[in-house]
Amino acid sequence: MSATAAQIAPAPDAKAASGARLVVEALEREGVKHIFGYPGGAIMPVYDALTGSSLKHILVRHEQAAALAADAYGRVTGRPGVCLATSGPGATNLVTGIANAFLDSVPMVAITGQVGMPLLGTDAFQEVDIFGITLPIVKHSFLIRRTQDIPRIFAEAFRIATTGRPGPVLIDLPKDIGTAVVVPDEIELADEPVQPLDEAAIAVANALIGEASAPVLYFGGGVAIARAESALRAFAERTGIPSVATLKGLGGIPTDAPNFLGMLGMHGARAANIAIDNCDLLICVGARFDDRATGKLDSFAPRAKVIHLDGDPAEIGKLRVPEVGLAGDLTTILDRLTATPPIAGWASRCRAQKAMWAPRYDAPGQGVYAPALLKQLSEAAGDGAIFTCDVGQHQMWVAQHCRFSRPQAHLTSGGLGTMGFGVPAGIGAILAEPEATVITISGDGSFMMNVQELATIRRYRLPLKIVLIDNSQLGMVRQWQELFFEENFSEIDLSDNPDFSEVAHSFGIEAFTIDHRSEVPDAIRRLLGTSGPILCHVRIDPRENVWPLVPPNSSNVQMMEKGW
Amino acid sequence: MERLSIEFMPAEGALVRMLGLVERRGYVIRKVAADEHADGGSLIIDVEPRDPGRRVQVVAGQLGRLIEVTSVSLEPRRAGSPT
Repeated sequence: MSATAAQIAPAPDAKAASGARLVVEALEREGVKHIFGYPGGAIMPVYDALTGSSLKHILVRHEQAAALAADAYGRVTGRPGVCLATSGPGATNLVTGIANAFLDSVPMVAITGQVGMPLLGTDAFQEVDIFGITLPIVKHSFLIRRTQDIPRIFAEAFRIATTGRPGPVLIDLPKDIGTAVVVPDEIELADEPVQPLDEAAIAVANALIGEASAPVLYFGGGVAIARAESALRAFAERTGIPSVATLKGLGGIPTDAPNFLGMLGMHGARAANIAIDNCDLLICVGARFDDRATGKLDSFAPRAKVIHLDGDPAEIGKLRVPEVGLAGDLTTILDRLTATPPIAGWASRCRAQKAMWAPRYDAPGQGVYAPALLKQLSEAAGDGAIFTCDVGQHQMWVAQHCRFSRPQAHLTSGGLGTMGFGVPAGIGAILAEPEATVITISGDGSFMMNVQELATIRRYRLPLKIVLIDNSQLGMVRQWQELFFEENFSEIDLSDNPDFSEVAHSFGIEAFTIDHRSEVPDAIRRLLGTSGPILCHVRIDPRENVWPLVPPNSSNVQMMEKGW
Repeated sequence: MERLSIEFMPAEGALVRMLGLVERRGYVIRKVAADEHADGGSLIIDVEPRDPGRRVQVVAGQLGRLIEVTSVSLEPRRAGSPT
């Protein structure tokens, strides 16, 4: 393992500095460029030290947005996104974003101010046990009790956040620890042990692949986490094995690759679910048999043997016990799977299913058909674009109808399903990859959950393209009430939404509204041709549903389809 | 009943983190014994699954990925057996 920043710094002749200054220096040493945050009482020493540093602070308008923007920043760069908040409500407002990063294994360092040490445990003003609150949703956490420990703890936090299965690390910093002036301790971090490959398991895996007659490659977000796309694509190409992706796996293999059958699961492609149902070998790479992907677990790939590759040993056998489990670096393992199965007929049948069940875009009527709009927008935006999503029907339409040639092009809240993710994620993505065209697809429910971040977009003149798909309802909830709760529609009406174009205008952001499909081509041209931030408000038919759909507790091949 | 034997490096929150993980992952904690020194600690937990679908190997694996944990071993126990 190469030396980390922590192992080579600070110099032995370190000078005395305040804890807050040590925080800033630690962040600079780790190569941090941007911090997303919001100041307040207990974190003021750090804000004081920020001035004059190389760190660019992005002042959001709600701490949840700081954490979600940092999450997206981490997804795009592979380095921890950093968010900063004060104690009490500032810290608790980060919680949803921290949980979002935890569920999707995103590297993040969250720094919270805390009341001074003498006040800890006294119910002081803005005191909350954020260390305790976040225990179930962090990879690790620290409460700093010695100012001298700051460089070491920050170095550990960045290493923990990024190595193995990434995740969020919380650092809680009492105010007096930030103001004390000390000479910091030297940093000594041991090298991370490297686990040797299980050669016997590799041999068994190759034997299973070589004798399979109907294998399927099922991959997920672990591929992007391990930056193993190249190895995955090489494996898929040399074996010719048909592949399916989870929501978070999309882009691991390009959407338009011939043997890629699409997303599997609840709103997956029928060809993908059929292939899984018929396969005799399931090669799971960086996926975790999540219920949204598998449907009823005991009917998922019911006749298949399983090879499970994952960076996290704890995932192997968690929900399905594989014939072969291989934990470790995915690229290294995939490169060792060299057997090639004789499956030309199987692959051909899978491609035929893909063609037969390809999505249709000839929806009746003249209103905007969101799947068609998203397909056209995705094609026009090209491979350099990054899509960030909110959560709901539009999120599934993006997964189904946009094309992705890399995982970092599709930022979606997969595990936690956080409404309000889209706009802050767009902010984080733009700062992480300024040359990309970043497009946020939102819904009218989700958009209102972090609407205040339009002010952040305006302040920093971030050229985010927002497509707000508005059905004046909580569409996914309405769809389930229609289908599974006997049309007992309960609290899904959002028909009193504000005029979203006017809202954007009031923040100083260009915006326009469309409601007819003939307006779509011009709208896409305007979105992509505008250099600054812009919002396209799209009114759609509130009765539109996401199809296909696997009903809850059903096998993935029991898919409901649209009626036209 | 199953017994989890855990070796760990002492750190603030380590015990709560381990016990909380076991409970949240679907186990009732029946007995706990902890011993902690400056250079290491050990924790023995007797657990029962809340439903029959739980495999104790899974929670052992999840304990194993906690930063402070250095090893986890399993020992089958019968309900009511002496410690």
